[in-house]
Amino acid sequence: MSKNQVSRRQFLSYTLTGVGGFMAAGMLMPMVRFAVDPVLQAKAESDFIPTPQKVSEITEVPTRVDFKFEQQDAWYTSEVTGTAWVYLDDKGEIVALSPVCKHLGCVVDWNTDKANPDKFYCPCHGGLYTKDGTNVPGTPPVAPLDVYPYKEKDGFLYLGKAKPKKEA
Amino acid sequence: MKWNPQDIDMFLQSKEYVDTAVLPLLPVAISKDTKQAASMTEFISLLSMQLERQFRGRLLLLPGYSYIKTESIDKLLGDLKVWERELLENGFKHVLFLTSDSNWKAVENQLEGELIWMPSLPLVHMDEKNRNSLLEDQVKQLMNLFLQKWQSAD
Repeated sequence: MSKNQVSRRQFLSYTLTGVGGFMAAGMLMPMVRFAVDPVLQAKAESDFIPTPQKVSEITEVPTRVDFKFEQQDAWYTSEVTGTAWVYLDDKGEIVALSPVCKHLGCVVDWNTDKANPDKFYCPCHGGLYTKDGTNVPGTPPVAPLDVYPYKEKDGFLYLGKAKPKKEA
Repeated sequence: MKWNPQDIDMFLQSKEYVDTAVLPLLPVAISKDTKQAASMTEFISLLSMQLERQFRGRLLLLPGYSYIKTESIDKLLGDLKVWERELLENGFKHVLFLTSDSNWKAVENQLEGELIWMPSLPLVHMDEKNRNSLLEDQVKQLMNLFLQKWQSAD
């Protein structure tokens, strides 16, 4: 038997403190967790969506780039395919245009109308846009095509949410 | 444009630009050929949704006309003519029926609108990627058909 015996009183108080401490921690931890949760939340890779397009392979001719993302319609989440027309402009900068016609929302195509080469053409009502997305006056659309903000990551092109083009 | 309030608002504002109505014909059958009817319905629904995405500014995609496949074709034809009349009398120049059900082929020439029959593809056994590319090909062909129709009318 050792000299400094633990008295019954001491033993009980140690045990109670220990157990009480665990219980308090058990109650407090989730609360703290809730409080700091927004900070811990992983930043959703901003809103940029990866595309299969390699940045090094973008040319001066607008190319169609399809990418997939999740879209929520009320309670129903579905995978949607988005499209962008991507090319390099005169300065060698990447331009990614939304293919949605600003008139009534059809999908425009590059260089498909024989009478108007090198233009974006809307098959629905003959809307025309020049290569930089500006609407050609005299055709139904009243605004230039939307522009996607873009990012380069690991050699691939990432696209954000299409925004109306700023007035030049 | 789809048959929902937002799109219909747009439709009412720009009626003069929307001259094409698409009505998917969706068969339902419980007693026999149930699965076949279901896959026809799925195929045509997917196809018409894709089509609407491409041409949303010029066509109105109506909610499908679903019918009991075992009903006599004359009765169904009568119903379809009601749709057709409603659409043609209210400003639509082109009315297209989209179907996989070959029964309609027999009565095609009694319709004023155009019946487009597409053989339904077995989408069930495909993974999503193949399925999408396959649908896309089909939609491309359909789009050409629409473009030709519009060009000959303009």
